[in-house]
Amino acid sequence: MSPVASTVTPAAVPPQLRAKRRKSALRTLGFLSPWLIGFSVFFAYPLIATVYFSFMKYDGFADPTWVGLRNWKYVFQDSPFFWPALTNTAWLILVMVTLRVAFGLGIGLLITKIKTGAGVFRTLFYLPYLAPPVAATMAFVFLLNPGTGPTNTILAKLGLGTPDWFNDAAWSKPSLTLLALWGIGDLMVIFMASLLDVPKEQYEAAELDGANAWHRFRYVTLPNISPIVLFAVITGMIATMQYYTEPLVAGKVASGVIGGSGQQFEPGYPDKSTLTMPQVIYNLGFQRFDTGAACVVALVLFTLAMVCTGILMRRRSGFMSAED
Amino acid sequence: MRRNRLAIAAAAASIAVLASACTGSGGSAASDDPNATTTLTFWHGWSSPGEVAAIEKNIAAFEKKRPNIKVKVVKGITGDKLNQALRTGGSQAPDVVSSFTTDNVGRFCTSGALADLGPFLDKAGIDPDTTFLPQMAKYTEHDGTRCTVPLLGDAYGLYYNKDAFNEAGIKEPPKTLSEFDKIAEKLTKTKGDGYERLGFMPTYQGYETTVEHYGAQFGVTYFDADGKSNTAKDPAVKAMFSWQKNLVEKLGGFRKLDRYRTSLGDEWGPKHPFHTGQVAMQLDGEWRGKMAADADLDFEVGAAPFPVPDDQVDDYGKGYLSGTILGIANTSKKQNAAWELVRYLSTDTDAVVSFANDIHNVPSTTAALKSPKLNSDPVYRTFVDIAQHPKSSHAPSSVNGGAFLLTLQDYGVAYEKGREKDLDAALRKNDAQVDKDNEQAQAG
Amino acid sequence: MTRTMKMSRTSQTLSRGALHWIAVHALAVAASLFFVLPFLFVFLTAVMSDDQALTRDLWPRTWEWGNFGTVWETPGFLTWWRNTLLYAGLGTVLAVCSSLPVAYALAKFRFRGRNVMMMVVIAAMMLPPQVIIVPMYLFWAKQLDLAGTLWPLIIPFAFGNAFTIFLLRQFLLTIPKEYTEAARIDGCGELRTLLRVVVPMAKPAIAASALFHFFYCWNDYFGPQIYASENPGAWTLSYGLESFKGAHQTDWNLTMAATVLVMAPVIVVFFFAQKAFVEGVTLTGVKG
Repeated sequence: MSPVASTVTPAAVPPQLRAKRRKSALRTLGFLSPWLIGFSVFFAYPLIATVYFSFMKYDGFADPTWVGLRNWKYVFQDSPFFWPALTNTAWLILVMVTLRVAFGLGIGLLITKIKTGAGVFRTLFYLPYLAPPVAATMAFVFLLNPGTGPTNTILAKLGLGTPDWFNDAAWSKPSLTLLALWGIGDLMVIFMASLLDVPKEQYEAAELDGANAWHRFRYVTLPNISPIVLFAVITGMIATMQYYTEPLVAGKVASGVIGGSGQQFEPGYPDKSTLTMPQVIYNLGFQRFDTGAACVVALVLFTLAMVCTGILMRRRSGFMSAED
Repeated sequence: MRRNRLAIAAAAASIAVLASACTGSGGSAASDDPNATTTLTFWHGWSSPGEVAAIEKNIAAFEKKRPNIKVKVVKGITGDKLNQALRTGGSQAPDVVSSFTTDNVGRFCTSGALADLGPFLDKAGIDPDTTFLPQMAKYTEHDGTRCTVPLLGDAYGLYYNKDAFNEAGIKEPPKTLSEFDKIAEKLTKTKGDGYERLGFMPTYQGYETTVEHYGAQFGVTYFDADGKSNTAKDPAVKAMFSWQKNLVEKLGGFRKLDRYRTSLGDEWGPKHPFHTGQVAMQLDGEWRGKMAADADLDFEVGAAPFPVPDDQVDDYGKGYLSGTILGIANTSKKQNAAWELVRYLSTDTDAVVSFANDIHNVPSTTAALKSPKLNSDPVYRTFVDIAQHPKSSHAPSSVNGGAFLLTLQDYGVAYEKGREKDLDAALRKNDAQVDKDNEQAQAG
Repeated sequence: MTRTMKMSRTSQTLSRGALHWIAVHALAVAASLFFVLPFLFVFLTAVMSDDQALTRDLWPRTWEWGNFGTVWETPGFLTWWRNTLLYAGLGTVLAVCSSLPVAYALAKFRFRGRNVMMMVVIAAMMLPPQVIIVPMYLFWAKQLDLAGTLWPLIIPFAFGNAFTIFLLRQFLLTIPKEYTEAARIDGCGELRTLLRVVVPMAKPAIAASALFHFFYCWNDYFGPQIYASENPGAWTLSYGLESFKGAHQTDWNLTMAATVLVMAPVIVVFFFAQKAFVEGVTLTGVKG
């Protein structure tokens, strides 16, 4: 953090300057006011309220009553959803985020090497990222439908195995990973831009030293883009923690329990394998009337996300730096 | 600068609001005049065009009878949306609600989401225990608090493809589950890695073949006298799980069946596998008969009670009972007017009969059951009889809604898949989980 | 002698270059298949007949273009469109207008606590929306009686959006101080400097952040599910699409036709605004 505070004591400041300063403080306040309000009402207040509710029994009807740590104990010890959601998140961070970063980097590298039709390829690779998540997920559940989906039809024609994809607890997360890899556009562009920023001279120097392609990548490219890799990993982790729409819609559509006859869909189909923390919050808070337990899970999610954000802010001072 | 002033005004307003946050619901206030001109909001879950038209016809008849009350109807409301709206109230919220699922009656009554109808019934001189079918009177209250009344009922039984039966030389629908298993196997024709026709889809995800629907045939009780989950001690649960798992294996195993399921049409759509002939027998509610008749299928449809375990053959004829429930939101400011609508929909014999005929549901009042105007179609009458069978049953209401059924079904799925091998251990785990969830749901 | 040697060396590098070209482009074509085939199959299923959509066929026997019309005429589909446009359009205008002065102050003013403020912006940007949803829902529904509408989603954007602030600030940092100072010396107030000098220079960043915001709203499922689900009149495309399969009793062909109709506008907008997009993505990760 750069020191911005003035060291001059107010007494030493001539009145003119003080007035000017007050004016400038007011001006700053004016410019910042939308955010100051937004931050207090839509960030600080609900966070404090979440902490408050986590110690309360509140079903939305009767007034909240204090229950101490009961909700915390329930979530960590007794809830059938919390730990599966956490382990799923860990799996997705390990596999999905890693693969996404590797694949994004690979596609970014590929794009920088393409000589003919780079624009067309770039557009094609980028487009899936824009597909609305609900639409993309429904499309993938259809594509990967075990019985009649095109993927299994083609796999069967090629004489390959045909998994049950979104309908099999062992394959549901790999299926979600496939969906996430399809929408690689954001990472591709970020990596592409950072790859183009690597100074040419470093490559030339390496080539003179007789470095082969792998060595050039390992000793020139990677060190140059490592901050971007870190950025991609951390933001990917945070995005995974709040992963909601894709697993929920995939579970609903694949299970066949959707809308209709008043059947209630409990997220995580099949066998809680697609359960994530936000879905647990929704299930507890908006399906089971258990506001308190929902807030406990929310606070766990908050803590984990803020730890990641903290790492990001420490490691990438560029995030914070300002001109002075 | 104008924006900033606006922002500050908005901030001041929101702070004022925040200061008053966290104050909950008010008490019920049934002080409105039912004869005043007013508009009620009514929510229901029907979404298919025929059913929507039927309920609207029913409402129109009410409006004609009570010209001072207009009803704004909102269709296609699912359980989740209802839960959410009842908690918050407000101008968009409904006055009168109906729900297909009875799972939440316990929650609605204990939490006060729905108004207590006891005083209204007393004032109108209606005795719910003699007016409604006894089973239906039971599942619409919780612990002595009656916060809902039944609006038609559903009875579950067996539909079968008569042409397929004839072709296989089967004369009678099965009465016991061992007969049923044999027929299911006999009617199954495999093709490649799938089926040309499946006798019966037994998996828990196969539309209506849920734990509670099977459970009624076995007489599962779910809770002991102290309200503790007793699935590990109840031999009926074990019998049900074992029978279902055994049938799954006989018909080709879970994986093969589930894959076939994902290639089948939607339960509420025209490509329902029973309609298309892809599945020869179906456990389903009485509405299926009308859907099948409307679809003008190219085979004859038969209906019978769902078979029972061999040792309970004396009780053949029973089935799972459920139904649509009707209640008044506690947040409603027009409860007396709302009661007029509830009373009409649930107890007016002509209204109940004509609505039952229109959407092919089982009537929920004893008077309507005796009405000569009630549909005499034999398929339909099969279900009316199931509804009146003394051993027909419904899953108990719980403070935690239907969570105990979902939990048990999860263990059922794990067992049919072979992920849980030890049934006793699985059921003990189920009991522990259900008890913990119920404890968490109790008032603090 | 020397000439032939030189020639063979050139042809050697040439053929190495050609091989490289072929390898790269073969890889690119293979990758394209992965990205394009899903779109293709979705489209092909969307134009299949009801009977064929549940079979293993990949290619439509008859081309049922009417499926798109059927979806379009589904009761509610047009309402979902209107609501989505309202949410995304109004939300974007509000978010950009309210975030710009904040971003400007964070980029160009010197004041105590600026870094803390910036950290708070980043924290808010990274905060999963589900963390605060329980109290927020109670606030909007119980206190302000706005459940069943999209206003709980739109109104907060009038008070700055963390991501938009962050993105705009990252760009504003790249505008040299001389420009703003020159304007100040000319006697412009800060607000005029912002509107007359900074906004014209920041047009690409404003366009990028507006696009991002628009698509964020367009794609949002969680928000409408929480606030608007109880009132079908307030549903958006993303929420309505999911309910489409259940509530309208359809099969895969119509569901995929609806999917196409929800994806299409995004893709059209992208083709018109490709440059702004790519610049925007780069700005989030690289500059700063």
